[in-house]
Amino acid sequence: MTRTLPLIIGLAIAAVLTIVICTFIGPAGFGFVSTAPGAADIVGGIRLPRVLAAFFVGAGLAVAGAAMQSLFRNPMADPYILGTSSGGALGASLAIVFLGGFFVPVFAWIGAVVAILIVWSIAGRKGVISVETLLLTGIAVSFFFSAIVSFLIAIAGQNVHQILFWLMGGFWNASPSDAMLAAALLIPAGALLFFMGRDLNALSLGEETAAHLGIDATRARWTVLGASTLLVAGAVSIAGSIGFIGLVTPHIVRMLIGPDNRVVIPASILAGGIILVIADTLARTFFSDLPVGIITAFIGAPFFIWLIYQRGSTV
Amino acid sequence: MTKKTTLNAGNLSAGYIMQEIVKSVSCSFTAGTFTGIIGPNGSGKTTLLRAFSRVLPSSGLLELDGKPIADFTPAELGMALGFVPQDEARPFSYSVMQVVLMARYARTSRFASLTPADYARCHTVLEETGIIHLKDRSIRALSGGEWQRVLIARALAQDTKVLLLDEPTSHLDLSHQSDALALMTDLAGTGSTIIGVFHDLNLAALFCDRLIMIKDGTLVADGTPTDVLTPEKIREVYGAEVVTARHPATGRTFLMPLSTRSCKTPGERETPLRVLVVSGGGSGADLLHLLAGRGYDLSAGILATTDTDYGVAEALGIPSIPILPFSQITAHALEKLRGMVVRADRIILPAHPVSAGNLPVLLVLREAGPAKVIVHLPAGREFASYDFAKGAAATAMTDLCSAGASCTSTYDGILAFLEQSDNNIPPQSE
Repeated sequence: MTRTLPLIIGLAIAAVLTIVICTFIGPAGFGFVSTAPGAADIVGGIRLPRVLAAFFVGAGLAVAGAAMQSLFRNPMADPYILGTSSGGALGASLAIVFLGGFFVPVFAWIGAVVAILIVWSIAGRKGVISVETLLLTGIAVSFFFSAIVSFLIAIAGQNVHQILFWLMGGFWNASPSDAMLAAALLIPAGALLFFMGRDLNALSLGEETAAHLGIDATRARWTVLGASTLLVAGAVSIAGSIGFIGLVTPHIVRMLIGPDNRVVIPASILAGGIILVIADTLARTFFSDLPVGIITAFIGAPFFIWLIYQRGSTV
Repeated sequence: MTKKTTLNAGNLSAGYIMQEIVKSVSCSFTAGTFTGIIGPNGSGKTTLLRAFSRVLPSSGLLELDGKPIADFTPAELGMALGFVPQDEARPFSYSVMQVVLMARYARTSRFASLTPADYARCHTVLEETGIIHLKDRSIRALSGGEWQRVLIARALAQDTKVLLLDEPTSHLDLSHQSDALALMTDLAGTGSTIIGVFHDLNLAALFCDRLIMIKDGTLVADGTPTDVLTPEKIREVYGAEVVTARHPATGRTFLMPLSTRSCKTPGERETPLRVLVVSGGGSGADLLHLLAGRGYDLSAGILATTDTDYGVAEALGIPSIPILPFSQITAHALEKLRGMVVRADRIILPAHPVSAGNLPVLLVLREAGPAKVIVHLPAGREFASYDFAKGAAATAMTDLCSAGASCTSTYDGILAFLEQSDNNIPPQSE
């Protein structure tokens, strides 16, 4: 309890600094006080929306991952586990192959939501759903959708490149409206998940335990799944399926401050945003705008392994 | 004295998809009682408990404090009823204190913080359950027993008037078992309603004032431990043979299992071999138990009612000829013994102290048929060491052996002689 408030405040300051600094970094140069022609357009019109979109998407993925891991009582769960990313990939691939690349975000969003709805309706067929059934159904549906995506890649011809880049995720086309959409999803969903921190704590010991502790476990489960799905589907439609952030950020946070979701939720929001902004800045500045998903895993995985090695524990 | 009914179930049925486990159970529980639910594996004990706590849907009547349990909000139920599970997965490294604090969630608005009073209450509970030293420990680093005590502490910190326990002591060692259950007894003493599922019948008998026995999802017995834990009911419900006795310190009923390992009828005979064990001073206790488990038709000889052998014979339902301690063996008793000797196929005589008082018993054996007798003399001992009749007893025993009795120093030897007799019945000597 004593360490949590300074940590949250520290993370919030770090988040603001990260956003400000990364807005002024880029291949075109432009420092803080640049008055060169076009500087305002590039910094304000291109970089700022991109940085903000990356922040809100990273925050959304991380908080959805933290919530899903508690809900599924499984530290290995990631926010895509119920089929969102493969559904989004299918939607995006269909748009790329058959619509010449138009409406990719819309189709990605529809694909992600359709995947989740399919999983829910299959798993919930008999009225009573266990999280295990949900998890297994999600994995099965993911594989099925991935198979279709692989088929589309096989027949895509010249569009292969575009599909593959989409699958790895990035913020190449981030617009101010993308940043606003991501923020509009994150603020209510993040607040909702924050106020469900205790429900998540109880749920992470089991739904029956939660019920015995006076939690409305069924309502809490659907609320958490609903909020997470909105966040993840939004993220997928904006930036494709960026891996690693949603799985690992909550772990890093738990290593620093323990598993209490009242703290893990806000800390994951801030840390997820910071990590993705930094990764995206590195990608566009030093790696000729590679897909950011490559950077998150390439730099994040060794960092994570180092953390595990240091702490000798994973959660 | 009218006690308030807290939990009331009428024709309660519950189970899982396509499978009804609990069938039409009716029972009610009053404040200030500690009830044990017992029954064999798969009989529906835990299912019943989970139906009580509403995590399993049920049909029928289920009321808590006179109000249908379905009408409680989740938070109201969390303040009215606590549950200690058998075990719980621990995927995340919460501290013990964090887990116990979850007991206070039902009382706290999601927009508020836990209060210092909540922390104080949890601190007290951790002290009561003797795990205050684990307060800041990660739950993943606890042993199974320590974790079970955390789960008990968490349920206590809910401050509910009804507490359901699902084998709350299955991972605990002997002293922590009685500590935990004594705590429950104290709680019942202050007006709580405690209902626990138990595997260990003796533990249930020791701490519960009432037992409910369940078989195949239906209630088969309901009453005090003494009423419920009878050998007949245990045989009917568990299919196990037990003897009951009184706990030497508490006077409560307790059970001891009998070996049912080899209950086959020895040999090919339609009726089991009739074996008479003539013993005394505890010398026949083990033997009676051993032979009872093998299905022989046993009888015991003349035994003082204070003799260990008498207690064993009574517990196993073996007929004997009881006499008062330190009394002379009457002619009547000897006559009855003669009758037993004649009826027996084999007679086993474990070496035991013989004085002038019980010397006539040996004489009866000798006159009635030494060939039927199997004498058991432990290795390294002599007849003389059992003689308290100035040599007469040792002589009588030696005579038995020389007159054709079989002699052995081991129980295996006795069993071997009995098996022989199964195949080859010795002539009935009159």
